[in-house]
Amino acid sequence: MSPDSRHLLEVDQLSTTFATPHGLLPAVSEVSFTLQEDETIGIVGESGSGKTVLARTIMGLQPMTNIQVEGSVLINGFQVVGASDPEKRKHWGTDVAMVFQDPMTSLNPVMRIGKQIDETLRVRLGMSRQSAKARAIELLTLVGIPSSTERYDAFPGELSGGMRQRVVIATALACSPKLLLADEPTTGLDVTIQAQILNLLGELQQRLHMSVVLITHDLGVVATRTSRLIVMYAGRVVEIGETRDIFAHHRMPYTRALLDSSPRISNPSHTRLLAIPGRPPNLLNLPNGCSFAPRCSFATDQCHNERPPLTPSSEPGHSFACWNPLPISTRSEMS
Amino acid sequence: MTSHVPLLSVRDLTVVFGSGSHAVSAVAGISFDIFPGETLGLVGESGCGKSTTGKALMKIVAPTSGSIELDGIDVTRQKGRALRNARSRMQMIFQDPISSLNPRRRIKDIVAEPLDCWKSVVGVERDDLVADLLNKVGIDPAIYGNRYARQFSGGQCQRISIARSLAMRPKLLICDEMVSALDVSVQAQILNLLQDLKEEYGLTLLFIAHDLAVVKNVSDRVAVMYLGKICEIGPADNLYHSPAHPYTKALLGAALEADPDSPVHGEVLQGEPPSPLDPPSGCRFRTRCPYATELCANEEPQPREIAPGHQVACHFPLVP
Repeated sequence: MSPDSRHLLEVDQLSTTFATPHGLLPAVSEVSFTLQEDETIGIVGESGSGKTVLARTIMGLQPMTNIQVEGSVLINGFQVVGASDPEKRKHWGTDVAMVFQDPMTSLNPVMRIGKQIDETLRVRLGMSRQSAKARAIELLTLVGIPSSTERYDAFPGELSGGMRQRVVIATALACSPKLLLADEPTTGLDVTIQAQILNLLGELQQRLHMSVVLITHDLGVVATRTSRLIVMYAGRVVEIGETRDIFAHHRMPYTRALLDSSPRISNPSHTRLLAIPGRPPNLLNLPNGCSFAPRCSFATDQCHNERPPLTPSSEPGHSFACWNPLPISTRSEMS
Repeated sequence: MTSHVPLLSVRDLTVVFGSGSHAVSAVAGISFDIFPGETLGLVGESGCGKSTTGKALMKIVAPTSGSIELDGIDVTRQKGRALRNARSRMQMIFQDPISSLNPRRRIKDIVAEPLDCWKSVVGVERDDLVADLLNKVGIDPAIYGNRYARQFSGGQCQRISIARSLAMRPKLLICDEMVSALDVSVQAQILNLLQDLKEEYGLTLLFIAHDLAVVKNVSDRVAVMYLGKICEIGPADNLYHSPAHPYTKALLGAALEADPDSPVHGEVLQGEPPSPLDPPSGCRFRTRCPYATELCANEEPQPREIAPGHQVACHFPLVP
């Protein structure tokens, strides 16, 4: 463990490429970012932008074959890229844990929920049967499951989607991880349940001093709950910075397009949405230059031929990948 | 502009699945009107009966009781050819664009299917109409008409579904979560397209969705459903600005805005909706309502008008 690492998570030039029958598919390309202790970072993007593959690569959960991972992922000093499964298993649960999108399929349907939490505690922490059960009931209470002693014996099918996601969170938190990767934790849940789960995650993050990576397609989820934000498009980071800066002073036209095309409750009804034409590119056949250029109204020849690097903006920590960025503070007059 | 004779008039509609102790009232007696040219949004959480309402209007599921009048004709009493006739005047667009199209058919045949069923237009005229419909939804018939549905993305499939639904020139279009499976940039394209076609074809819409921002964006009026009942209905801007039902307020409070300055919801609705197998007595929302009293448990609140066109079913409506 390097003594000078103040960052809990350091991702450097990370690329994940799948070998498919149709050619190489670069799902994640040259992603770099760091995360401090107690910090929550958001990753937003549309489907196919590489958010989930990025999270799985950070976690070290990849298929064995037909995949190439380059770059580096340091979690608490541990190099995930290239580590063997037994090595990774040692730090799963205690250093890093993941909450998956679908609470219906991330639990074993024929195993009592208490046992699924127990398993982690007994295997990873070597707890006895009894103390694992006591701890599992404690965890169920922690994530807000009413009458947790009785629910310990419930099967996942007996619980609602929101309750199941609470169980998944309890399982992830069982060994007090320092880093929690939450991949679309509330997608598919109703708004009132979504609010409950997001509040729960926020509370737990503060109480347990975790760092959280919150991955979502919904800008509303990250707007008030993250300190920094990464916008991904076609496997690349196209903008990164403080969440407020990204919302108020984004420079990348794609970020603007994402914000403009989301309907808002604060707008009067029948507000015309500013839709962008086209759809995200096929990753098997990416354009040479900027991946967003074919849909971008500001695109020039340079955009089509040369890939823009991440360029620092005026605010600290804010970078964007664009040859023709939007002028600074374009939205400030609106808010 | 909307006229005062409703195009669709629904009275005391109930849909019960199963029987005896397993009977679930998915829709438990709802009444509403949709006027020509307007869009009525129907919002609620999963299991509240909004999709069942949409399907009952089309008689895809049989209504248990109540009446559904389209243009003065009670659809619930129609059978056979008369029912098919009525159905051609209302069309439905479903949530999953990919599974609502046959992957092994050419899209020009998918769009032509309703025309071929009715034999209303044939030959060259039919082909021209299909080409025109595909053009209207932004798909070039010359290039893509002969391709199969499986070759298209979700957003394009939803465009094809829209083209198919417009083939019979319906008066009423029922859109059931039609954009919820789409990415936000594609969603905006489809919502704008729907708005354009609504004006061009003079459509009346019932827009069913769970996303409050999407519903507000497309609707003139909005109805909020909870456990099979409508708890509030009113003009979209009014209802969102000053919700009168505690449930509407809670829903709006839980919704997330893409704005870092929006308030983080401190007070969140606790618990989950009760089972529709055994709904609470009186007001169905009372088990989660912060304002519930004994009256709410004993007596079911009836819809009453609190402002022009704004009705709420609550004993203690919130004052703006």
